[in-house]
Amino acid sequence: MDASTLTLHVRKNGAGVGRLDVMQMLSGVLLIVFLWAHLMLVSSVLISPKLMDAIAWFFEATYMAQVGGPLIGLLIFTHFLLAARKMPWRASETNAFVKHSVMMHHKDTWLWLAQVATALLILVMASIHMWVVLTDLPITAVKSAARIQSGTWLPFYLVLLPLAEIHVGIGFYRIGVKYGYITKANRKWYQRLENYMMGGFITIGLITLIRFLFLTV
Amino acid sequence: MSRRLHIEVFRYNPLDPNSEPHMQSFYVNEYDSMTLFIALNLIRDEQDPTVQFDFCCRAGICGSCGMVINGRPGLACHTQTKDLPDHIVLHPLPVFKLIGDLSVDTGTWFRDAGARIEAWVHNDHDDFDASAEEVRMENDLANDIFELDRCIECGCCVSACGTARMREDFLGATSIARIARFYLDPRDERNEENYYQVIGNDQGVFGCMGLLGCEDVCPKHIPLQDQLGIMRRMLAIHSVKGILPKRVLDKLKHKGCCHESH
Repeated sequence: MDASTLTLHVRKNGAGVGRLDVMQMLSGVLLIVFLWAHLMLVSSVLISPKLMDAIAWFFEATYMAQVGGPLIGLLIFTHFLLAARKMPWRASETNAFVKHSVMMHHKDTWLWLAQVATALLILVMASIHMWVVLTDLPITAVKSAARIQSGTWLPFYLVLLPLAEIHVGIGFYRIGVKYGYITKANRKWYQRLENYMMGGFITIGLITLIRFLFLTV
Repeated sequence: MSRRLHIEVFRYNPLDPNSEPHMQSFYVNEYDSMTLFIALNLIRDEQDPTVQFDFCCRAGICGSCGMVINGRPGLACHTQTKDLPDHIVLHPLPVFKLIGDLSVDTGTWFRDAGARIEAWVHNDHDDFDASAEEVRMENDLANDIFELDRCIECGCCVSACGTARMREDFLGATSIARIARFYLDPRDERNEENYYQVIGNDQGVFGCMGLLGCEDVCPKHIPLQDQLGIMRRMLAIHSVKGILPKRVLDKLKHKGCCHESH
């Protein structure tokens, strides 16, 4: 115990909000990398369902799915807790921000509202998705295809896919802006990159879903 | 052919209990190189002498005539009517205290922010000699400092900031650019921890959500978001010193950074 343990009258050097900010950024970066890798791996079904099965087998044989899956869930929740510090939880904050967005008609301002809305939906939908997949291991192309063809799951993924890609795309761009990597000079270029990547990943995801829809079960 | 401008002005006097907030329409004949500042003066001279708005220099230097022009904060004197549609809607800047109609009190806000970030040169010298010749400074460094000192405190960036509108205590891009000016200045001997204590919190750099409103509206085209990014990165790295390897932190610190002369 030191002088700063029980009172806010004493400041501790260095610690505090900066670390939370770094953790928010790092958890975000990890999730961005995870989501892109996840999509590439699942889309291996486009090359061959056997390849997807082999990849899934590898991740289960090494226990990466059994252990890594719940860890990703934890990471999503941690990232939510950290980022939710900025969310407009008070009615007055929401009111001010919505009014502000309408007034400004400024894309980057609107994108933040998109970020908040997609975050809340992803938190719920990604949890459902993870529960369904991880309680029914092993993952195989045929089982995934059966789920997509069962009816209710196709609309679910048609919503979750763009939500996740939009959130990740905006997040990627926003981290660059916040930490001074995306500057006035290169902003346009990064915006274009972000749009292409978002569009590209959503397209790959959609083609993968279509493939599952027509895969013989 | 010149246009007839329809200018809608927000009218409200908070000191008058009978005053109801409303929009009032005025019509003005546009002429070549007319600015909004000129149009408002025409309205006040010829149509309604009670319209309140601030102006002083009419040249984008004093920072008095900041207002919300068709949704975007900007300077009336810097805005030519030919760049606007013929229907112009004017509101007072949000965040700041309303004095009346388009006039707001930015002074109190900036004084408070300046005090909070301690916007003056800090050092421990007690042998200051006011008659001694000033220590010389490299020209490049002086230019870098001047680049940030160009701020005219009009308040547009604060009004364009989503965070500032949600959270009253947010210091805004102008304050961060102001403190960055002291960070560059070798006469200010504050270290990173000192800066961290002042702006290393949700009211300072870590409150910024990177919405870019500040940079997009700044009438002086100061690279506000870039500056915020530099300060945020510096303080974020400071907060994890001793946790992440120094080599990695040093690398991150200088990657893609401008204003690196200090």
